[in-house]
Amino acid sequence: MSSSTRKFRFDTLLIHGGTEAGPAGATTVPIVQSSSFSHATAEELEDIFRGRRMGQVYTRINNPTTESLERRLTLLEGGIATIATASGMAAITTAVLTIARSGDEILSSSSVFGGTFSLFRDTLANYGIAARFVDPTDLAAVRGGVTDKTRLIFVETIGNPKMDVPDIGEIAAIARQAGVPLLVDATVTTPCLARGKELGADIVLHSTSKFINGTGSAIGGAIIDLGSFNWDSAKFPHFQPFVTKYRNFAFSARARKLIHKDFGACAAPMNSFLLTEGVETLALRMERHCDNALQLARFLAVHPKVQWVNYPGLPDSPYHGVASRQFGGRFGGILTFGLADKPASFRVINALTLAKNLANIGDAKTLVIHPASTICADYGPEEKGLMGVTEEMVRVSVGIEAIDDIIEDFAEALEQA
Amino acid sequence: MNLTVNGKPATIDNQETLDITTLLTVLKVETPEYVTVELNGEILDRENFDATSVKNGDSIEFLYFMGGGN
Ligand SMILES: Cc1ncc(COP(=O)(O)O)c(C=O)c1O
Repeated sequence: MSSSTRKFRFDTLLIHGGTEAGPAGATTVPIVQSSSFSHATAEELEDIFRGRRMGQVYTRINNPTTESLERRLTLLEGGIATIATASGMAAITTAVLTIARSGDEILSSSSVFGGTFSLFRDTLANYGIAARFVDPTDLAAVRGGVTDKTRLIFVETIGNPKMDVPDIGEIAAIARQAGVPLLVDATVTTPCLARGKELGADIVLHSTSKFINGTGSAIGGAIIDLGSFNWDSAKFPHFQPFVTKYRNFAFSARARKLIHKDFGACAAPMNSFLLTEGVETLALRMERHCDNALQLARFLAVHPKVQWVNYPGLPDSPYHGVASRQFGGRFGGILTFGLADKPASFRVINALTLAKNLANIGDAKTLVIHPASTICADYGPEEKGLMGVTEEMVRVSVGIEAIDDIIEDFAEALEQA
Repeated sequence: MNLTVNGKPATIDNQETLDITTLLTVLKVETPEYVTVELNGEILDRENFDATSVKNGDSIEFLYFMGGGN
């Protein structure tokens, strides 16, 4: 029987959700490495182009391997439709440009990933879309940031790398009152820790390059439409034709038929395959990432050379309460800590032998980086302050290796601090 | 009953009327969770699929946002 017809639990959906039997009984999704798809008659292709029937056309538009990943992500997030994209940045760009037009404003958390900050502040500004940044943990500031030009609110479930945790339910209430959708980047928590729908998001975004892939082998992104926002609104006249035709699929339809198709940041079939493979082990990996991160945070918190540790799993974190409530008692695989100064943090990074010094998160391997001199190097002190990036800060994406090996690696390297 | 489905004649034997949800099954419409249904030129609300019926002479169009061009 088709596994998509039964109501499975989350951990089973990770492995079987949305799958169909492959050719010759294959149990992994086939990599359909074809740019285009032929059809028997001109009438058939006309019907597909007119949207009268489903069918593959061209891999920039759709592809069977990518659709399999999209179906699974839709089920995992409890959404109505998903668009897989070439990268997390492509997902954010496509989603935002589907909603906002020249003259509009977007209201964003100030503690977002550096690439997102740069897209909102610099790139979109050149196209007439202005971003306002507010501290997402200051609800009065969020409320105060809404203007009659605001067309969406954007937050991350856990700010990367500030590690702040906004109360998403409260921000969702502000968005509802303002009549605009809430977009939540859930890259760092994944659907294992929190489903955007239960938190109150309207659209969930992922950089699937991170935990969903899980082994650092592919770049990808996803836009999951939760179908909760009513686009039939005077604020969104450009959605009207899509509301009329596609009702609660209006967002996905406008994204697919215009922005995603025209900008062309489509997923590659090979990457969709690798990302689907990653999804299957996500629950197990996230459990281990979270356990290991908590243990490393506890070790660092009492280490004499470590000035501070920022991990929402530590009881003295200002975000411990809200994170416990939102993420089911788990706190993710990323933490930051501070040493005496920048040279000390460089010495420790250089002395680590297991942990790799590189610009990524969510790999099975433990990764470290000095954010101020790398991913946030282009920003001045004011922006670094907003993003919570300081000179003595080291970010760790805690892997799923044996925790004793991870702790020994840090213990030895900290002798150089 | 005789219907026009996506501009082509279609006959459903032994049925004088059918609700939309059943019709989607009978006609083996692909990925019914994504289809928009237009009955005699009017787009139906998904919530009304069970309550809306087709009868002899009706014209019905299925519409997907997933594939194709515009
Ligand atoms: C929270 C978050 N969102 C988005 C992105 C961008 O994703 P990608 O690198 O897949 O474009 C990243 C990547 O570093 C991220 O950490």
